[in-house]
Amino acid sequence: MLEKIELSIVVLVLIGIIVSSGTMYYTTTAISNLSTLTSDVTTLTESVTNLTSTLRDLTTITGLMAETLGEYNETLAALQDRLTEIEKLLAAKTKETLIVGTTDSVEKTLDPAQAYDYFGWCILQNIAGTLVSVKPGSETGADFLPELAVSWNASEDFDVWDFNLRQGVTFADGTEFNATHVKYSFDRAIALIDDIPEGAPAGLEYNKLINSTEVLANYTVRFNLNHAFSPFLGIVSCRASAIVNPTYAPIEEVGYHAGDSRASTPVAFVGPYYLTTWARVGGRDIEIRLDKNPYYWNTTGEYPKTKTIIFRFYSGPSTLRLAVEAGDIDMAFRHISPTDVLDLEDNPSVKVWWGAGAFVQYLCFQTKRAPFDDPRVRRAVAAALDRSAVCETVFLNLSQPLYSIIPPGMLGHTEEFQKLGDANYALTQSLLAEAGYDATNKLTFDLWYESSGHYPSSADQAIVYKEALEASGVIAVTLKSADWATYKQNRDSEIMDAYVYGWYPDYVDPDDYAFLYWASWIHTNYHNATQEALYDQARATTNTTLREELYAQIDEIAAEQCSVVPLYVSSAWAVTHPKIYGIYLDITQDMRYWLIYIGE
Amino acid sequence: MGLRSYVVTRILLTIPTLLLLLSMVFLVMRVLPGDPVALRFEKRADPEQMERMRHILGMDKPLWTQYIEYLGGIVDIGYLLENGYPNLGKSMQTYEEVGGQIFSAFPATLELAIYSMIIASILGILLGVVSSKSYNSILDHMIRGFGTVTYAIPIFFLGIIFQLIFGVYLRWLPTGLRLHPSVEPPSGLTIYLSPPSQGFLYHFLLSSIAGLIVSAVYVAMLRIKHVKFKLKEILISAAVFLVTWIAYAYASWYFVCAGELHISTGLYTVDSLLEGNLFTFFESLKTLLLPSLTLGIILSGMFIRMTRTNMLETLRLDFVTAAKARGLKESTVTYGYALRNAFLPVLTMMGLQFAILLSGAILTETTFSWPGLGSYIVQRINLRDYTAIQGAVVMFGLFITLVSLVVDILYAYLDPRIRL
Repeated sequence: MLEKIELSIVVLVLIGIIVSSGTMYYTTTAISNLSTLTSDVTTLTESVTNLTSTLRDLTTITGLMAETLGEYNETLAALQDRLTEIEKLLAAKTKETLIVGTTDSVEKTLDPAQAYDYFGWCILQNIAGTLVSVKPGSETGADFLPELAVSWNASEDFDVWDFNLRQGVTFADGTEFNATHVKYSFDRAIALIDDIPEGAPAGLEYNKLINSTEVLANYTVRFNLNHAFSPFLGIVSCRASAIVNPTYAPIEEVGYHAGDSRASTPVAFVGPYYLTTWARVGGRDIEIRLDKNPYYWNTTGEYPKTKTIIFRFYSGPSTLRLAVEAGDIDMAFRHISPTDVLDLEDNPSVKVWWGAGAFVQYLCFQTKRAPFDDPRVRRAVAAALDRSAVCETVFLNLSQPLYSIIPPGMLGHTEEFQKLGDANYALTQSLLAEAGYDATNKLTFDLWYESSGHYPSSADQAIVYKEALEASGVIAVTLKSADWATYKQNRDSEIMDAYVYGWYPDYVDPDDYAFLYWASWIHTNYHNATQEALYDQARATTNTTLREELYAQIDEIAAEQCSVVPLYVSSAWAVTHPKIYGIYLDITQDMRYWLIYIGE
Repeated sequence: MGLRSYVVTRILLTIPTLLLLLSMVFLVMRVLPGDPVALRFEKRADPEQMERMRHILGMDKPLWTQYIEYLGGIVDIGYLLENGYPNLGKSMQTYEEVGGQIFSAFPATLELAIYSMIIASILGILLGVVSSKSYNSILDHMIRGFGTVTYAIPIFFLGIIFQLIFGVYLRWLPTGLRLHPSVEPPSGLTIYLSPPSQGFLYHFLLSSIAGLIVSAVYVAMLRIKHVKFKLKEILISAAVFLVTWIAYAYASWYFVCAGELHISTGLYTVDSLLEGNLFTFFESLKTLLLPSLTLGIILSGMFIRMTRTNMLETLRLDFVTAAKARGLKESTVTYGYALRNAFLPVLTMMGLQFAILLSGAILTETTFSWPGLGSYIVQRINLRDYTAIQGAVVMFGLFITLVSLVVDILYAYLDPRIRL
């Protein structure tokens, strides 16, 4: 009996705890709801007062009707202004949170000295400021807007760059932004290269490019470069050049890891958003929340337009597609497959956005041994490729054939590889006949592709390439595949005859593409002093006609040598809720979340 | 062999098992093609930089040194006490502690496993009993068919079908993740305490009250039970007083200085209740429904068959006939008598099924973007994150061993023959 009483007391207490905590929760929610309601009511009263004053204006207008027409128009304009103001006030009361679904995840950190992954850079762009930025919607990627720098000029040799900085910008801890912060940020990036060999400043070779950074005046900073470098604005606009707050980014300490108190402190950067939440489970993001930075300097444009951005993380393209289709999320960008996006285009509950792409894929040849040590053989294979077949059947025309490693829209893009043609079997046969191959003694080689989804539809692509090559009658291809880790190792150990590879730009400039023809890390073992000299010459001038000519010459040699053969350039797309506006899908591949807004 | 020595042997046996598992994973990972260092470099890989990274990760040392160091890390008790998880090394991809990563991902998998197991056993046992009761009827055949089909159906297929029906077309339930994207995850119970103004002495003096209360309760309990007060009882109540006093003083001082007391399990259904947030609780149940239903239905097939066979055997036994003859209700005979006896083999099955459940969890988690240990392993294998995979496999091994241990003990408890 006693035990039962004891038990019932314990149960009662437990029930009491649950009920009271629940009640308390609901009371607090109700109270907070009530306060929102009161603030809503205040806004409404404000609008009503506005309206009455408008009415008063109206009576004044009627009174003034007899007077001059000009005055009347003026009052009307004022009236219009007031009306839009009220509309804006009401619109601001609508949805303020944008939920974005993605299959990406920040790889390691959000430290500009370390992050070198697409999504890490994407978040950095929205929380950190750079000196200049590429204009949203830019077609060439070469129109730069002032950000933390208001003006800039380069010396005649393009090895000394001066920037005049914006005044009155503050980090959120109250620190006034000035030239020392710029110097500190670049010095830090370079100083950490040894400790973080995989970081972006190491990959972009900041230490080889920048000799020193000088503070000329409080708001003027000078970069002394080691060599002439005209695309320097591109480097300055990329996320590895983000300005950091010295208090929160000491040189000896590395990394904004999730869980790091600094990662959740909104004082590190000067971008349009704060990083308010960054939660990771098992080394992968589960939540990132960006909130409006009230100290953001660009208040004239009322940026950011959406107060809060929340990222949610899905495991793959198919689940992401289902989530955006079901309306669980407002927006999905990247990693929706071509088939899915074409399917979604007919769906009235979502809106599909299209834009230019800068992701390219290319075929690489191992030039250190037969058969591809012979440029004729490489040319023969390049001529037999059928790019349009791949773009049509695999990418459903959402990618375009590429005939220069520099994608269309960018300075220096040519159609040089058109010379070899597509499925140009006559050329293939004659070139291979010269090299000693014919229908009985076919050219045989292994064509490798990546099989774990690192590149889009790799296996399908490979099948189409093989078909086109073998249709020439003089080539026999064996398809081989490996998952990304093995593929990368195979590349380094140089065991693959021919392999498909891909490239995303770090900064939008032909300078970040043209070198792919001979890049040592692709391990084609191809070197060409003429091409490299032309490349260096192109970096040392901003004369666009001259640069265009130089890149055209590089392409001409490339089409002759065929160490690396451009295949296609992708386009970009995003899928959103129909009421979302302000998305710019341009050649930079950046998603500028501060421009996105939710309409009626 | 007594139950206690049996349990002790079982526990001791897990050590060599886990060690063997660990060594195998350690070797297999390093034999696999692919290089974690090369993968760290997104685009441009400079041999010199890669060499530096190899050194930072400790991969330039001989294999046996790495192995010894790794084992040494795991048995580092000091680290375990300080962090609450063993030292499983640092992730080769993210610099983060593998132990921390695994322990942050584990609650999600555990929650999924628990709820799928509940669904699987309820569904499996109920259908199994119904099927055995209506032996050889159409219903029996249908249930058996259901069992076979669900056992053979691929998890991701069933999962996608559910997502399409309930997520996309009906829009009743979220298609993935652990909560609907617009809902904030629960943070568990947080008790905010006053700022540390008075220091330890203050808490020490104040805590004597707690000691008094607890010892008074103890004394009152003794009184209710009519225990006579002798020296022993007085000593014990004094000890209770002292221990409570000191423990409470230390705890309250510690937590006040820490600012707040945070209790969180990582299981969203539990955390939301702790937080007193019923909305999040129902939301997390809603999101749990599809993945656990998928996994539960797949697992239930085996349960249906096991329950059915055992029930058929038991229903033929004499004691069932005797119970029926005594005029007991049909349901009492079935559930109270027969099922209790038929349940034992099913229980053993449940333990074994946990291994299958966890491998099923890998597929379910990927299908539903569930951020648990399954997704973790898949993603780490693609990155050749040696340390992370070793840690996760050991964790799975440990979990399965623990569950089978618990099942064995439960079995011994339920079956008196073993206790004899």
